[in-house]
Amino acid sequence: MTAANVRVATDVGGTFTDLAYFETDVETGEQRVRTAKVDTTPPDFERGVLELLHKADVPFSEIGFLAHGTTVIINAITERKGAKTGLITTSGFRDVLEIARGDRPNFFDLVYRKPVPFVPRHLRRELPGRMNYHGEELVPLDLSGLPDIIEGFAEESVDAIAVCLLHSYANEAHEVAVLEEVRRLAPEISVVASHQITRQWREYERTNTAVLSAYVQPIADRYLNNLNNSLKDGGFDGSLYIMQSNCGIDTVESTRQTPITMIESGPASGVWGAAELGRLLGIPNVLALDIGGTTAKCSLIEDGQVKIISDYWIERNQANSGYPILAPVVDIVEIGNGGGSIAWVDDLGKLHVGPQSAGANPGPVAYGRGGTEPTTTDANLALGRINADYFCGGTMVADMAGVNKSLARLADTLAVSSEEAARGIVRIANHNMINALKLVSLNRGYDPRDFTLVAFGGGGGMHANALAAELQIKQVIIPAESAVFSAWGMVMSDLRRDYFKTFLCDLDNDAPTKLKEAFVALESQARGEFSSEGLDPGMLNFLCFARFRYRNQEHSTEVVLPDDGVTAENLLEIRERFEVNYEREYTYRLPTVVEVVGLHLVAQGEVGKLALVEKRATGRKLSEAVKGRRQVDFDVDGSFEAVLYDGALLEPGMSFAGPAIIEAAGATVVVNPGSQASVDQFGNVVVTIGTA
Amino acid sequence: MSAYPLSEDQSAVEFDPFTIEIIQNSLQAICDEMFVAMRKTAMSSIIYEVLDMGTAVVDPHGNLASAGAGIPLFVAGLDKAAAFVIQKCAEQGIVIEPGDVFATNDPYNGGVTHLNDVAFVMPVFVDGEIVAWAADIAHWNDVGGMVPGSMATTATEIYQEGLRLPGVKIVARGEPNEPLIEVMKVNSRMPDFLEGDMWAGIAAVRVGARRLEEVANKYGVKTFNEAISRYLDYGERMTRKALVDLPKGRFTHSEEQDSGLVYACVIEIREDEFIVDVRNNPLDPGPHNLSRDASLLAAQLLLKAVTDPGPTCNGGNFRPLTFLTQKGTVFDPEEPAAQGFYYEAVLRLYDLLWRCLANELPHLMPAGHYASMCATVLGGTHPDTGRPYAFVEPELGGWGGSIDSDGTNGMFSGFHGVTFNCPAEINEARNGLLVDRLELNPDLGGEGRHRGGKGIRMDYRIRAEEGFMTSFFTRSKFPPWGLVGGNDGSPNYVEVRRVDGSVERHSSVTQLKLFRDDVVRIVTGNGGGYGDPHERPRESVLDDIKNGYLTEERAQAVYGFNTTTR
Repeated sequence: MTAANVRVATDVGGTFTDLAYFETDVETGEQRVRTAKVDTTPPDFERGVLELLHKADVPFSEIGFLAHGTTVIINAITERKGAKTGLITTSGFRDVLEIARGDRPNFFDLVYRKPVPFVPRHLRRELPGRMNYHGEELVPLDLSGLPDIIEGFAEESVDAIAVCLLHSYANEAHEVAVLEEVRRLAPEISVVASHQITRQWREYERTNTAVLSAYVQPIADRYLNNLNNSLKDGGFDGSLYIMQSNCGIDTVESTRQTPITMIESGPASGVWGAAELGRLLGIPNVLALDIGGTTAKCSLIEDGQVKIISDYWIERNQANSGYPILAPVVDIVEIGNGGGSIAWVDDLGKLHVGPQSAGANPGPVAYGRGGTEPTTTDANLALGRINADYFCGGTMVADMAGVNKSLARLADTLAVSSEEAARGIVRIANHNMINALKLVSLNRGYDPRDFTLVAFGGGGGMHANALAAELQIKQVIIPAESAVFSAWGMVMSDLRRDYFKTFLCDLDNDAPTKLKEAFVALESQARGEFSSEGLDPGMLNFLCFARFRYRNQEHSTEVVLPDDGVTAENLLEIRERFEVNYEREYTYRLPTVVEVVGLHLVAQGEVGKLALVEKRATGRKLSEAVKGRRQVDFDVDGSFEAVLYDGALLEPGMSFAGPAIIEAAGATVVVNPGSQASVDQFGNVVVTIGTA
Repeated sequence: MSAYPLSEDQSAVEFDPFTIEIIQNSLQAICDEMFVAMRKTAMSSIIYEVLDMGTAVVDPHGNLASAGAGIPLFVAGLDKAAAFVIQKCAEQGIVIEPGDVFATNDPYNGGVTHLNDVAFVMPVFVDGEIVAWAADIAHWNDVGGMVPGSMATTATEIYQEGLRLPGVKIVARGEPNEPLIEVMKVNSRMPDFLEGDMWAGIAAVRVGARRLEEVANKYGVKTFNEAISRYLDYGERMTRKALVDLPKGRFTHSEEQDSGLVYACVIEIREDEFIVDVRNNPLDPGPHNLSRDASLLAAQLLLKAVTDPGPTCNGGNFRPLTFLTQKGTVFDPEEPAAQGFYYEAVLRLYDLLWRCLANELPHLMPAGHYASMCATVLGGTHPDTGRPYAFVEPELGGWGGSIDSDGTNGMFSGFHGVTFNCPAEINEARNGLLVDRLELNPDLGGEGRHRGGKGIRMDYRIRAEEGFMTSFFTRSKFPPWGLVGGNDGSPNYVEVRRVDGSVERHSSVTQLKLFRDDVVRIVTGNGGGYGDPHERPRESVLDDIKNGYLTEERAQAVYGFNTTTR
């Protein structure tokens, strides 16, 4: 066993800290996966990680690669536990952060309150100096007021400073000057400028991005330092990488600069896992679906590429504008619909499922911890889809009396039978998830029938068959590591940085030169960053995208560029690529000028991800994996006696027809009547959807 | 595909409540999908950024089955457009066929608002039967008429306000009506924008119609119809349930407008009926009239706000509403009265009704807000590209304080919703001017136990040699109203600060000439205060001073604040 063969992923969640440990036996090539879980240990989160490594008996010195994901950043924001932050901005614009964009999402509400800015007005200070949209200086920067500002911040015990100046996406010089001067005047205060995170226009969004990054910076710094030091003290001398929201991993040093990039690392690793699984199996088009306890998240992977967006919002919903973050984040639709989502009837008799969730505590009624409102999990139990005698992998006795009582009460309100109520809950939950899947596919011009559904998380296998049938998706894959799939995705990740830049020019004969120059500059920026962090820029490969629109439009369509970029010869082909994408999404083309509005460079490098080895079949008979039979309600297909399989005993090459249920420690897979399940060479369950 | 147990035959007997629920949820999702499709493809910033647009699903009888996002004005306007087309086709024997798209922008012919707002309605056919209509509407930059942008403060007849589309087929059986489109383009000063925005609107109704067809096919027409019918009943129950809890009685209010006209209303709340009577009103001699349908919108939105301000909205919500108007008045004008600035008139009406009720329901409603779109049009030649530019935008303003909190700063008016302002960085690139500042309005006013929110002060500096400005602000003479003892807010106005140092103040002006380095300063009102200022907690006053919302002198004068005592 050599050190290089041990890869570990740790994931700090709000409630639990998870560990997945992947070791490859050098002699046999056999791969083993171990998982462990401890309670998350705020505020010293790294303590939980260390505890976990000890608990799992992982020798620190043997770990070659450690990927780490954390919800510490998003939690600090949603719980408002970040640093006291000050903002420095351009004269005349300190109120931008408070004015935001002026929208009122629920327009019937006359007493709507805007989200409160993360920096109060008296800590938003201004400096004279002005750029224009070409990045030309109109008014020189005047730093003479800065000492006063810093002094004022010190009096108010400000811990972090954000800098965002107008048009810094086009020219960062003034921001750099402010940054340097702040560091000189107040070396003890952490500071971040907007251009370090994004080079895109829209001053409110960029200002808020800088502010939120500053807000979490001291926490992230402390956290990453402690983690790094504790691991080193424990004898770890492998490479530590931090999961990012763009589906890549990055170094501790780089993450420390702009920690906001960690914000959605959890969902990103799951989506990346689905993309990697697709690559491994030769499936380029994947719909990834992660059904957890409180939410379901989905994302579309086209031609092996995850979609990374640069205009992401937190806390945004029908009743709240939320806060924008212009960091590269995987394009996800998330809905409040998971195993713990509560079914409820409104004042006027309509049934809803979620978004309120019973969470981990009290959890579904079946947990017997005081939950009284039926959840999706309770409905699945009542319908026999989840085994009441093997609840949570046999670690818990399901309180079926409680479940039945709660369903009966709901059924009573709706004037239907308990069984119908349970089916109704599952159907409405499924419908909500179908809507989410449509949002990432049909609404963007993709036909779900061209995709394979990769479903994971605790509830993925339970609902995937029904969702696929409804969307006419032909094939579903439940990954072998479904329950720890995010961790699996982390150990499969590459080093990756996404650079977005607002860049304006017409797609005409001058475009090739301009674009070439701009991309060369971006690439050299990327190489420079890697070199300065002691990484070998030679390992990087680049992928170039550009964003196009018809003149006078606002929203742009991103198109991948050929390897040789935009040239005089391929101008028409590039326009065609844009128009094909545009027409797919919007149904028409226009005979007008096409403009370039943005560049997107992806810099990627492999740093030793897991090489998956095929599992060997022992020749076990399928009948040996049969646990028993049980009556199961398949909702619209009817009620059938299903064969129960023990997931742990299934092996490559096995195949069987629905109605069937696969029970494994972390997940249940429902195979509907008419569908066919088989186990592939890596232990994934592949369900071919058929009709009853 | 799973076989659903609800075949047509079974559903005739009994409908599965969960299928009904799923269809109802789908209606909302379809509206949202149409909204996204339209927003992303529109040419004009007023559509894609300001989101002066809306989408809806309408049932075959012209009832609003589900409303999408957008601005509230449009949400309940599209059923009226579809209802007009349905009636017109029936009366004139026009055959409605699959693939047809009808266009209307004429308030005298189903268009509801003004000629700039072009609505598309598309029938959804299943088995030869119309099961629903997909509809959308958006503000187009220029549809002809006597001034650029089509809205003229001096218009007295609708003929001066642009080309009228009286509910005609712009697409027939899937084929664009090219001659009509040619007529439309040649009538517009901005034909490229017109064509782009037109296709955005057509694409969106097509998306909606396709989805509706899929849903109706999947679950069967009878079940689909039943789902819509029950959804409307659900909307009605929502309103009736809330009506029970409102105070009953007959309330009146009248108020002088900036124009000198006096508008009046009577609202009567009964156990099972909500009556809004605006019969006793004058006619506006200019373009500030609004069609009866548009006036009805103001009453509908107010009813929704005081009964169930949640996002679910359909025609059923408004069944308990009785709306009374008098032909030949500002709220129900006769052809050819001009209506270009309908949006300001509808906001005036909304504010009038709001104030009438707020006096009775101060626990439910905030004090007055800046209550004007403060529409501003700036145009000229872009100094960098040499291309002409013109844009119209509504402005942000302050909202009134309410029973439990201060008013909101810098938010779009009560007739906007999912509307976004244009970022300065984009504005400067697109329109070739400079935004010198965007900040909260420091003017006095709006003090109270809960103070009004701040309006904005925004400076546009002209970079081109020449340009022009048109503005139409109301509440420029009479500021936003305070409630239960709170102070009135501050007025809306626009200043032109010339290079020579002179300052002109305007509220309503057409095609005012501007020159390089002139600054157009837009100032929008601070909202009205709520409650006696002397009841404002000391720490709130201190906080206001610290944050620069208030000076110490003003705090002493209005709040009785004294720095030395506690």
